[in-house]
Amino acid sequence: MPGKSRRDFLKSSALIGAGVAGISTTAKAGPDNILSEDRMGVLVDTTVCVGCRNCEWACKDAHNLPAGNLESYEDRKVLDTKRRPDHTALTVVNEYASGKNSNLPVDVKVQCMHCDHPACVSACIVGAFSKHENGAVTWDTDMCIGCRYCMAACPFQIPAFEYEKALNPMIMKCDFCIDRTKEGKVPACVSICPVEALTYGTRTELVKIARDRIKRNPDRYVDHIFGEYEVGGTSWMYLANKEFTELDFPKLGEKPAPGVSESIQHGIFAYFVPPVSLYALLGGIMWISKRRKELDEEIK
Amino acid sequence: MKKIFALILITVFATSINAQQSPGKDHSKLKISCKTCHTCDVPTKSEPCLVVCPREKMVTVYQKPEQTPELIVIDQMVDRYNPVYFSHRIHAQMSNMGGGCEGCHHFNTSGPILKCSSCHESSRKRDDVSIPDLKGAYHRQCMDCHREWSHDTGCNSCHTPKKDSKNNNKDNLQKKYAGKQHPVVLEPTKLVYETKSDKGKFVTFYHNDHTKKFGLSCTTCHKQESCTKCHDVNKTDKNKNQKVVTKKTFEDQHKNCISCHSKTENCNKCHNEKTLEPFDHGKKTGWALNKYHINLSCVKCHGSKLPYKKVDNKCSGCHKGWDSENFKHSVTGLQLDEMHSELSCEDCHMENNYAKKPSCDGCHDGYSFPKQKPGKLVGK
Repeated sequence: MPGKSRRDFLKSSALIGAGVAGISTTAKAGPDNILSEDRMGVLVDTTVCVGCRNCEWACKDAHNLPAGNLESYEDRKVLDTKRRPDHTALTVVNEYASGKNSNLPVDVKVQCMHCDHPACVSACIVGAFSKHENGAVTWDTDMCIGCRYCMAACPFQIPAFEYEKALNPMIMKCDFCIDRTKEGKVPACVSICPVEALTYGTRTELVKIARDRIKRNPDRYVDHIFGEYEVGGTSWMYLANKEFTELDFPKLGEKPAPGVSESIQHGIFAYFVPPVSLYALLGGIMWISKRRKELDEEIK
Repeated sequence: MKKIFALILITVFATSINAQQSPGKDHSKLKISCKTCHTCDVPTKSEPCLVVCPREKMVTVYQKPEQTPELIVIDQMVDRYNPVYFSHRIHAQMSNMGGGCEGCHHFNTSGPILKCSSCHESSRKRDDVSIPDLKGAYHRQCMDCHREWSHDTGCNSCHTPKKDSKNNNKDNLQKKYAGKQHPVVLEPTKLVYETKSDKGKFVTFYHNDHTKKFGLSCTTCHKQESCTKCHDVNKTDKNKNQKVVTKKTFEDQHKNCISCHSKTENCNKCHNEKTLEPFDHGKKTGWALNKYHINLSCVKCHGSKLPYKKVDNKCSGCHKGWDSENFKHSVTGLQLDEMHSELSCEDCHMENNYAKKPSCDGCHDGYSFPKQKPGKLVGK
């Protein structure tokens, strides 16, 4: 399809769908999926992180996952291999070779970035995902049908799936400790971090702080706040003393992951109109081709 | 008239106070956040809204390590852990080449040492998150060095759990650290740097010459040294000559040298295709240093201003008071006998040139020094 992107195609087909279904795109608009000026975020300063992995323990502990005892996290052999967050560990710390002006290795905590324009929210066909006013991106397990579109859509490959569970497998990812923050607490990882490498605050304030740190310590940091602009901005942002691509961060543009289709898509799927019309269309095509075949055979 | 005079006095006084406290022009570009010193968003000259704690002026209560407290008790976490007994004195001593007192007591006022908690809040959930909270501040001070040299981030290297109180007795620790000092840092004689320079691959650096002959103190160069420069549990053989790869920039690499060796100097002065001999005053200048002069630092004769001023080989160039009246010839290793001590200097040292061999021709025929001596040798 030269000159026409996948996004354009989605846009136009969604518009047609909306027209067919005659559904208002704002039908589901509520307090969710809006960007608040005071939304919270976390600034991860990887030049400060010591790689103690206490955050991994605290996260499991806060989410009722098997965590083991805290002392077992002192084993640094774990850091020899690069790990990804999964359904058993919603956050992991990876270690990389030292960056500029430092003898120390760089430790990078990985978890959901809680995008300002989340692709998972956009991709979820049942609208189970939502962006909350406080910045968190969460999902409703009861609504989830297990299609794993969120996993495919996420630019950071974060949502994980409980593959080994035969019954009711669930999508799992960092939920920004939404239960804790509702109670006025800080997220579990932020709370336990011994060096406060994770700073919890409003995103606006954190961007200011991050810029200030780079300005005042140009020898300590590369001049880049990862997450300030990537995919339209993320709630979690990073500072580092080496290029982010060397720390396994994906190279991303500043355009948000597709977000236009989100409410339209939800509306359509809520009434099952496109599936029905799609099957009708497919049935029609099948009938026509079958008929053609029969005609061809008759001619022979 | 009196009033005007008083007014002038007050103005002078006020400006002098102001000058004393001024953190200097462009201080907004310093490596500290504005919030560290100002409470309001827009501080003005008339209302600078200064906080009590940090000021531009750094620690002036610069104590010697020996004067500092030996043990410091940190006991904010008594519900989970035993108190941490921090061996302050030995750490102060160790920090000598790693940033000194300011390394930890950063942004202190010119008054007494401030508590960490006077700037670092104890709650992680707080309004101003631009500087770390108390827990973060404490751990940042300790953990960077500790993990650097032990490759370990375990809590138990400093904290002992409540149940285990045997090894964490203040008296025991006080005994353990009493008078304990960091061993004297051994100094290398020669370091050879292999460089990528096309003007000469090797730079030979005589470390002991720089400290002993040229009189540099350790902290002239070693300002921000990390413990791992010497201590690294991963290093296998300590005695083996090890190749260390540095990632310094050109400027950083030359920073320490350039402060004395001017930038415009010929690269080949340091860079060479082979390792160089140590500095030899005799070879370089034709005036070998004797036992009196060899231990002097260069500045003693050549002045501290660079490039060093030339000194002639006349003793009186430096030894202003030396004349025939009060010079004790025995300092040269030769004590003059009674006859010769009556003579004036130039009777033997022709034209007062002491670099030349003395001549006996003035009085004696066929005599020459050192075959014949005008006294006895006493040893220098």
